[in-house]
Amino acid sequence: MYYLQLLINGLVAGSVYALFAVGLTLVYGVFRFINFAHGELITWGAYGVLLFMAPPLGLSLGWALVPACLLAVALGLACDRLVYQPLRQSDRVTLLIASIGLSFFLRSALQFIFGADLTSYPLGLARGFSWGELSITGVQLAMVACAVIFLGGLFLLLTRTRLGKALRAVSDNPELAGIMGLPLKQVGWTVWGLASLFAAAGGILLGMDTSLDPFMGLANLIKAFAAVLLGGAGNVWGALLGGLFIGVAENLSVAVLSPGYKDFVAFAVIVVILLLRPQGIFALAGSGGVR
Amino acid sequence: MKRFATSVCAALLAVALCAVPALAGGEVLVGAITPLSGKISVYGEGFMRAMQLAQDEVNAAGGIKGKPMKILFEDNGSTAQGSVSAIQKLITVHKLPVIFGPAASSNFLAVCPIAQRNKVVLIGAESAAASISKCGSYVFRVFPSDLLQGKGVAQLAKGLGYDQVVLTYVNNDWGVGLAEVFSKDYQAAGGKIVDQFPHAAGASDYRSELLRIKKAGVKAVVNLTYIKEAATMLKQAYQMGLKVQWLMGSASKSPKMVQLAGKAAEGVIGTYPVVSQDTPQYRVYKAAWQKKYPGKKLPIFGEYNYDMVKLTAKALNLATAYNADAIRQALIKASQGYIGVTGDKSFDANGDVKATYGRWTVKNGKIVDYK
Repeated sequence: MYYLQLLINGLVAGSVYALFAVGLTLVYGVFRFINFAHGELITWGAYGVLLFMAPPLGLSLGWALVPACLLAVALGLACDRLVYQPLRQSDRVTLLIASIGLSFFLRSALQFIFGADLTSYPLGLARGFSWGELSITGVQLAMVACAVIFLGGLFLLLTRTRLGKALRAVSDNPELAGIMGLPLKQVGWTVWGLASLFAAAGGILLGMDTSLDPFMGLANLIKAFAAVLLGGAGNVWGALLGGLFIGVAENLSVAVLSPGYKDFVAFAVIVVILLLRPQGIFALAGSGGVR
Repeated sequence: MKRFATSVCAALLAVALCAVPALAGGEVLVGAITPLSGKISVYGEGFMRAMQLAQDEVNAAGGIKGKPMKILFEDNGSTAQGSVSAIQKLITVHKLPVIFGPAASSNFLAVCPIAQRNKVVLIGAESAAASISKCGSYVFRVFPSDLLQGKGVAQLAKGLGYDQVVLTYVNNDWGVGLAEVFSKDYQAAGGKIVDQFPHAAGASDYRSELLRIKKAGVKAVVNLTYIKEAATMLKQAYQMGLKVQWLMGSASKSPKMVQLAGKAAEGVIGTYPVVSQDTPQYRVYKAAWQKKYPGKKLPIFGEYNYDMVKLTAKALNLATAYNADAIRQALIKASQGYIGVTGDKSFDANGDVKATYGRWTVKNGKIVDYK
């Protein structure tokens, strides 16, 4: 029973990590760099709800959710347009460093506006549901449901729509895709939009489940990064499974390790993967495509 | 080559000009390393406000020998590395002989050897780890050592009739140190610790830890942790339906913790170094705070920061010169018999103060003394 509860917790945590990892890997697949500012999209999405709930708009929590996600999407697109697009032709290290700088900038801007203090959504406290010895809260169920819906939607987009197929083609070979006349700009917007949306949704759910602070994005980014590496950078389904794996591994490790060292698991995964199979578990030889 | 040499000289000149002695400009400067951002910034803002309140009162009463006192705040980002950079900047660039040390025993312990080595007076207002007593002759603190709190928590647990507990503590020098002291005292009194483990500071999900507590099946849990962590654990325990008696330490005793945890904090019992709210000094402090910061709650450990600044000002006024040795002597002399808001601040040979430990609890959303 104890292990089953740990597994459930792990799947819940893993579904959120999967959302983040998929966004990160989509950006990598198309633009070929790891966006370290992805964590800030998570944080801005979560704090965006507070922004819309405060005066002068004064929306209720439910009504503030959509504008907050739109804010994060706008932010993601703005980052691309203002920072990454001008650097498109530079090498990966430049883009990486630019994203690190952008992450500091966004985090500090957030701290400037909201303060460095811990805050939370004005949700009441509610007991979770329990079956015998197992328990789960409403927000945790929402996390899993949200992940399933968003990732299901992504699957349909990638396989059934033209835009999705164009996305897969661009991530496979951008030059050839451009030559074939695929709409590179639209694909770029879609990728940023999806990545930001997933990040914001995950961030909001995390905020509802626990609390908000300016560093919440950074902590989750490391886990997302580990998941991306595990699944193979650019591989969406690898990122999904990687996220679930890290969530489950982290929570199960509590049974053997001291819970204070839970974060160790994500870092251990990064090290082991880079040592043994740097292209990730699901990567096919020599490709970085979105599969 | 010539241009390189000129620019190097210009840079050196600029740095030299920056390192003006701290007395120039007619102000007496004191350094302060404060967590204004990062994991424990939830405490830092309150500390800064309490110190500024004391500073304003000192200046209104004539300052230090006629000159106004100014506290130079350096943000340490709540980390030990940040604290080390901050203290090195204050010592080498600003050349300050007295510095208010950072919160969190881990951060304080990181900088106290630097202060001792450079012979700079370092004073702490909320660092409880027992090992700080061994930091050296230039290190003082107005906050009592955890050796006493560990005993207090053990007595609390035993006194309430809990012979078996689970012990969890935040994974840093403060948590580990206090846990060690508690477990020694509690086991010596016949208690049994069924399971013990540290938990990470600043995590958003403690459900795995709570599951381990649930598995142990005890009636009481000793949880030695900070505000944010305590609130998250209490909330998640409530959601999981975990019903235990929480026994906590002084670092969680804050209205902010109750605000974050809501009704999940109801019934928590803890220990803290007693600061009587009936003394004239406390009433004066409370009134002054409410005048300067209307609407803001009194911050946790604010009284200690206030006392630290006031005591230092008294020492600076007594000191024969503005250097670390003179200030150190004056500080020891000034502290003897000094009754601040938090009680008797006489420093002993290790630079520590005494305290009695009382008990607090959360009742109807408020923190009150536990009878």
